[in-house]
Amino acid sequence: MEFDAYAFDDGVYDEMFQAAGAPRPHCRDLHDWLRRLSAEEISGIQEWVSRSFLNEGITFTVYGEGEADERIIPIDCLPRIVSAADWRLIESGLEQRILALNRFLADVYGEGRIVEDGVIPADMVYGCPQYRHEMRGVQPAHGTWVSVCGTDIVRTTDGFYVLEDNLRVPSGVSYMIANRKAMKSSLRRLYRLCRVREVEDYGRRLLQTLREVAPEGCTEPAVVVLTPGVANAAFYEHMFLAHELGAELVEGRDLVVRDDVVYMKTTEGLRRIDVIYRRIDDDYLDPLAFRADSVLGVPGLVSAHRAGNVALANVPGTGVADDKSNYAFVPDMIRYYLGEEPILANVPTHLCRRAEDLEYTLDNLEHLVVKEVGGAGGYGMLVGPHATPAQRQAYAERLRADPAGFIAQPVLALSRAPCVVDGRAEPRHVDLRPYVLRGRETRIVPGAFCRVALRRGSLVVNSSQGGGGKDLWVLADQEPDAVA
Amino acid sequence: MLSRSAEGLYWMGRYFERTGHLCRLLRWQVESLVDRPIREIHFGWYRIYGSLGRAIPGADAELVGGGDDFMLVDSFALADDLTFERSNVDSVWSGFTLGRENARQMRHYLSAEVWTNLNQAYLKFRDLRIEDIWKTAPESFYEALGYDIDALAGAADTTMYHDDAWRFMRIGCFIERAQLTISLILAHVATTRRTGESLNDDWSSLLQVCQALDVYRRRYGVVVRPDRVFDLLVTDERLPRSLTRGIDAVAEELAIIGAGSGPAADALRLARSLAETIRGDWPDQPDLDRRERVLDDVRQACRELHRLIVAAYVDYPVKS
Repeated sequence: MEFDAYAFDDGVYDEMFQAAGAPRPHCRDLHDWLRRLSAEEISGIQEWVSRSFLNEGITFTVYGEGEADERIIPIDCLPRIVSAADWRLIESGLEQRILALNRFLADVYGEGRIVEDGVIPADMVYGCPQYRHEMRGVQPAHGTWVSVCGTDIVRTTDGFYVLEDNLRVPSGVSYMIANRKAMKSSLRRLYRLCRVREVEDYGRRLLQTLREVAPEGCTEPAVVVLTPGVANAAFYEHMFLAHELGAELVEGRDLVVRDDVVYMKTTEGLRRIDVIYRRIDDDYLDPLAFRADSVLGVPGLVSAHRAGNVALANVPGTGVADDKSNYAFVPDMIRYYLGEEPILANVPTHLCRRAEDLEYTLDNLEHLVVKEVGGAGGYGMLVGPHATPAQRQAYAERLRADPAGFIAQPVLALSRAPCVVDGRAEPRHVDLRPYVLRGRETRIVPGAFCRVALRRGSLVVNSSQGGGGKDLWVLADQEPDAVA
Repeated sequence: MLSRSAEGLYWMGRYFERTGHLCRLLRWQVESLVDRPIREIHFGWYRIYGSLGRAIPGADAELVGGGDDFMLVDSFALADDLTFERSNVDSVWSGFTLGRENARQMRHYLSAEVWTNLNQAYLKFRDLRIEDIWKTAPESFYEALGYDIDALAGAADTTMYHDDAWRFMRIGCFIERAQLTISLILAHVATTRRTGESLNDDWSSLLQVCQALDVYRRRYGVVVRPDRVFDLLVTDERLPRSLTRGIDAVAEELAIIGAGSGPAADALRLARSLAETIRGDWPDQPDLDRRERVLDDVRQACRELHRLIVAAYVDYPVKS
């Protein structure tokens, strides 16, 4: 594979090259290996990886007007490599962040000191649609509100930035592991040569985490994964996680609450459940507590949780901490709760609810990314430089009508990594989503789901918006045997 | 195990058994198009539709009409209806995709070998149309899909843990098998009665579809006698697709899962008594009417068995 035509750009951080034609030290093995392969061989590997996803049914389902269509997420076969030093920085930053976010949640559902002390405005917390008043006074084990977090991180020429913390039901971890499985098989010798750290024990670490948040006194907790059902786009992941955990994959209709205790309907009668790794949004979790029209949830579940008879991971109401407005305060949370400076930076964020920020945003729409505070999946946002004047005008009107509903951020030059396009290497923008687990302690698997904006020039990495994925290799410091 | 999972695996077993059975029927039927008399071909279509409890689409006139052209056009349409027609709940497509959908939802119970083999079979099948398989040798399509389904059963036996999940899958498979065997025999008899003649080749094809022709020859020789075909397909305890073997297998699996009391105990009792009924009541003499009555009784009892299993393990009442 030739890199002669690879479009290196000085203004954008390239994950493989430090200068045109000069690979970064930790990418040399990959670069040398790729150069020895023909375009046909690379295409063969790419085809093999995609086919392995299809054969194993690693799909998401799209429901249109006709029959449901099972699709695979497009996977690029060139791994992104992260050096051991970079990973240490990311890891310590994530650890710091999840600690602060959990403290914040315990605080705002408890005493509310951070609000009283004026660090964050009261209306931004208690007026946030994701704040669940039903959860006030709840005290989960070890103060852990967020057991599973998927943090989106990007890199620019200035370093790493946290784009957002996904604290509700973060998905994608199954792709991280499936990518790894496929890449290990197809790039066997290179994989060994590069001394890559393993991610496959995620399931074991997740189970350990879930057991740690079990109700007090529960020594052998029964753990289940709660899915909205097969129609959910992430159903494959739910099933995968249940398999990894050795747990039952239940739907709301499989559970019943009696006297504030949750039971699962089995072939041998009702069986008590202690920990639920729920993959259903707060709104649909319990029709008695949240949306009354939910048919996916379990009536009485929140009451059972409040009574301390069942642990929910994550605890309902965590969305108040990953709301796009409140995201801007995470650095302040770190300083407030931990007395430390943030290790990982936030993207500078303008809160349009503030008059000066709104004015700045309206004046600079063509340079900014504007997002709805409750938005997700890349929907409903404006990428100023890529928008037409008419689109910007229309968005400006929405901003003026509801300033508090939006935030604005500078357009970041996301780093790029080589991807196989028509048998050649072409740069594409990437981010990474590592998964952070928190029970009694914090666990982070050395890896991430690396999302790729597959369309040339696009900055949108979301799979729902034409994004794909690639494997991310975190390199070990030592020889593989020593690591093992 | 989770009740809904038990139900999903049970239905998975049923759907794949149903699909494999229909593949064998259709394989024999499209093979017969090559060199069998039209009467025999018509017999085959009536028997298939009769065993499914469905009327032949397009009415009788087309089937009983004239020459080879009519027959081929009809067969093409009927094979399409029974293979790829999405709206036909009894088609190969419906059975296979429903089985696979159950498997997809219960995948965490299946071994990687079972799931991957199944999914690969699905990927080969999902974009096909009748025109694709009709161009060359349609029987090879049914043969290959039948093998894939047999391979699934083999992979399940050799790679899955033999716990309740596996057992519910087998119970579904064996109940379905028992019902399919009864339906096919009764449809065969009804078609024979309808056409007014009983030919040696018709009974041979029945044995072929039930994968019993070789066994028959070893046991009775090459002369096919209807009463012996009946005996073999109903009472032989070693023939995988015999009625007795199917009912015995259901009783064995239910006993291992554990009956306790209530509908579960009733289901086990019924399965055991059914097996005894077949052994005890099966007429030694070739009294066709009596044999039909026994089979019909067993068919009704199989439906009750299904109801009891669902009531015992899946759909039992829970007070909130």
